[in-house]
Amino acid sequence: MVSIETSENTSADANSVQGFGSFSRRNFIRAAALTGSIVVVPGFLAACGSPKTAPTNAMLRVGWKSDIDTFNPFTTVTTEAIEVQSLIYDKLMDYGTDLKIEPSLATSSTAAGNTITYVLRESVTWHDGTPFTADDVVYTFDLIGKNQLGINAQWLTDYQSVTAPDAKTVVVAFKAPQAFDPGLVIPIVPKHIWEAKTVEQIKKDTNASPIGTGPFKFEARTQGQLVSVTRNDTWWGKAPSAIGVSWSLYTNDDLQAQALKNGDIDIIPQVAPTVFDGLKADKDLTSVALDSFSFHHIGVNVSKVPGSKGNPLLLQREIRQALGYALDRDQIVQIAYAGYAKAAASILPPSFGDSYWEPSADQAINNNPDKANALLDAAGFTKRDSKGIRQTKDGKALSFRIIAISSTSVDVRTAQLFQASAAKVGIKLTLAALDSDTLASTVYNTDAPDWDLFVWGWDSGVNDPSYLLGVPLTSQIGGNNDVFYSNPEYDALYTKQATEIDPAKRVELVKQMQQMFYEDCAYLIPVYLEKLQSYRTANWSNLTETPGGIVFNFTRDNYLKAQAGN
Amino acid sequence: MPYIARRTLTLLSSIVAIVTFNFLLFHIIPGDPIRLIARSQHLTADEIAKLHHEYGLDGSLFSQYLTYLKNLLHGDLGFSFTYQEPVIDIVKRTVGNTALLLTTSTLIVVIAGVLIGVFAGSRHGKRSDSSTVIAALVAWSLPTFWVGMLLVFTFGVWIGGLPISGIKTPHAIYDNIFQKWQDIGMHLILPTLTLAIVDIAFFVIISRTSLIEVMSEDYMLTARGKGLSRRTIVWGHGFRNALLPVLTASVLYISALVGGAIQVEVVYSWPGMGLLTYNSVLSRDYPVLEACFLITAVAVLVANFATDLLYHKLDPRVGVQK
Repeated sequence: MVSIETSENTSADANSVQGFGSFSRRNFIRAAALTGSIVVVPGFLAACGSPKTAPTNAMLRVGWKSDIDTFNPFTTVTTEAIEVQSLIYDKLMDYGTDLKIEPSLATSSTAAGNTITYVLRESVTWHDGTPFTADDVVYTFDLIGKNQLGINAQWLTDYQSVTAPDAKTVVVAFKAPQAFDPGLVIPIVPKHIWEAKTVEQIKKDTNASPIGTGPFKFEARTQGQLVSVTRNDTWWGKAPSAIGVSWSLYTNDDLQAQALKNGDIDIIPQVAPTVFDGLKADKDLTSVALDSFSFHHIGVNVSKVPGSKGNPLLLQREIRQALGYALDRDQIVQIAYAGYAKAAASILPPSFGDSYWEPSADQAINNNPDKANALLDAAGFTKRDSKGIRQTKDGKALSFRIIAISSTSVDVRTAQLFQASAAKVGIKLTLAALDSDTLASTVYNTDAPDWDLFVWGWDSGVNDPSYLLGVPLTSQIGGNNDVFYSNPEYDALYTKQATEIDPAKRVELVKQMQQMFYEDCAYLIPVYLEKLQSYRTANWSNLTETPGGIVFNFTRDNYLKAQAGN
Repeated sequence: MPYIARRTLTLLSSIVAIVTFNFLLFHIIPGDPIRLIARSQHLTADEIAKLHHEYGLDGSLFSQYLTYLKNLLHGDLGFSFTYQEPVIDIVKRTVGNTALLLTTSTLIVVIAGVLIGVFAGSRHGKRSDSSTVIAALVAWSLPTFWVGMLLVFTFGVWIGGLPISGIKTPHAIYDNIFQKWQDIGMHLILPTLTLAIVDIAFFVIISRTSLIEVMSEDYMLTARGKGLSRRTIVWGHGFRNALLPVLTASVLYISALVGGAIQVEVVYSWPGMGLLTYNSVLSRDYPVLEACFLITAVAVLVANFATDLLYHKLDPRVGVQK
């Protein structure tokens, strides 16, 4: 190699630079040449063949875009980590591919009054061979309930106690009836492993080798690269066809799409819209656009605190409604989202099934400039300036500021389209694009919010209406409530639905809330997002196109039912 | 004061300045990290206040600074918001991968760059010289990530055969350590090549200029007068004396590489500090970002310090006080 020739040439020369310890210039060059060839040579040798791998044909290989945080169910927040944990840990109850509730570690769950009673499955063992008992369930619920640990603590705010009257029954008592069964989201952890740790230790534990009762056992994790699990052959349910599942990290959308085409991975749960058309054209792949549990919205500052610097005109419902009538949702879907989204209305996306409320044609507050003009005329904004912008009686322009995250191009585009349609009814919007941190701290400035309108979105982390419906609660001002909406009637309905254990009655309350919030127009929701996914048809079959996604959803069933080969 | 002592003092005061600046940078930027963590959860105002306390964000700026210094001296770089583990553990896992990538590409860039530079310099004024310089400068002006993408599509897609992502083949089973290194070597090819294509001009230009300068010295005329062959003159006499600036430039180059390394690591999903920095920006993981910045800054300072010492050793005239 060239570099070796160099070292020979220099060694022939007697002219060496004076000392630097024993590390003369000649030695430096020699060492460099040697190291260079050591590093480079294997690379070229290797070009002859790639290493053997474990059989991957029955391994379900997922490609994802962001790394997981931790395997600790009491501190984790990322979708990716919750996905992996859902295969390692079982919950008491779970969702099927139709998102209907199914038994899991518990064979039944019964809510009565303030308690929920679970009857546990028998002869289940942990991955380390220890038998699973009612004590494990008691330990898990008590740990979260008493210490309010992690994201699942929100389901145990009314928690009172948990008991095991016999070896296969667990009774959880609450201060009020619970409409949502927390058994659906809480992964059950082994008491014999966790009880040795204090709460403070648990908060800082990474749980690097998780032990669960689930259908897959933890195998390996390389941070920033790969996570893999292998099939648990002693699992209580029907053995999955996949011998394992792996999740590889790709930081680049094009590279990830290429890996799917090459067959390096089997499924991409979050396909970027820019590469989706390319994947759709590939005959080896099935590419789907599924309903999701997310929306993007335009928030309106309705804060009534004395320090609020929002335009006080927005406290008038008619003006907010006029903005709603000006908004053209179909146009935003077509132009800002290139068709990969659905025109929206209520705060709950249609993926919530029965709970979803849709306005009738005459209830719809959407793309109706005549109605907007009528509302504004009636509110007294009849004067217009030379550019057609409406004015108050004392000559102030009807003008608002709108902010969006500069790197979220769909939001910026949405704001621009909204600007144009608002101008048509005589409302001036001034757009400023900010980075996401600045936007978040501007919006969430509870004591003195200095903004009028903004654009961003929410995603429901749970298959229950309570999370999204809970965002605009008065009690969430200072928390999630990003528009400072406060409506005692809405708050009362929320409490009522959260404690209503009759599903049909609850749906009625939930729909009433959605309509109330929709008509108040503190949120103008232009779109429900779609989840774009793509998988290799030749490698896997029997995957159900569940709303919310084949994988990366509230159900893990597609991992269990996927059939290797076709 | 002796030269080395002066340089050490400068190094130490620069590190203190960097540490302070780094601390201030992350504490005066807008945005409340707790608010960002809390946004994905249902938290009441009380719980948010509790989190502020837990993350030590409730004291005065000065008391936070003292805590930060104290922790730093104990090797405590903070606790990652995302990974929920000490930052030092995360850094330990990634810093080696970056060191491997940077060492390999530095060696290749330096060796190949110098050879090409000497080749061009020894043909000073000829067409082969000017075309080499132009080619190097064109490559130098290409964006690193773009060259990376281009190589991905050339070698990963059209020609195939080279791995385009990660540091190891997923699920690989190695019979021995050599196979493992072979696999890592394969994964190193494209990231290294990307850095080499863009950065090679740095050394081509330096060694070319340096050689041209050396070739005009009197002793080169003497060598020619002795009737030595052109090859011996260039490689035996010229090359060796032209190396001094190259050596110092190589150490400096390592610090200049950091920016390129971030882009290359992101394009090729190489699990090093660059990718960690990128992901931490996306997830607003301030403690990790703070540590990445600090380590990078200190590495650059130490590299500069090493250059100063090396230069002083190789050319004792440097640093002599009059």
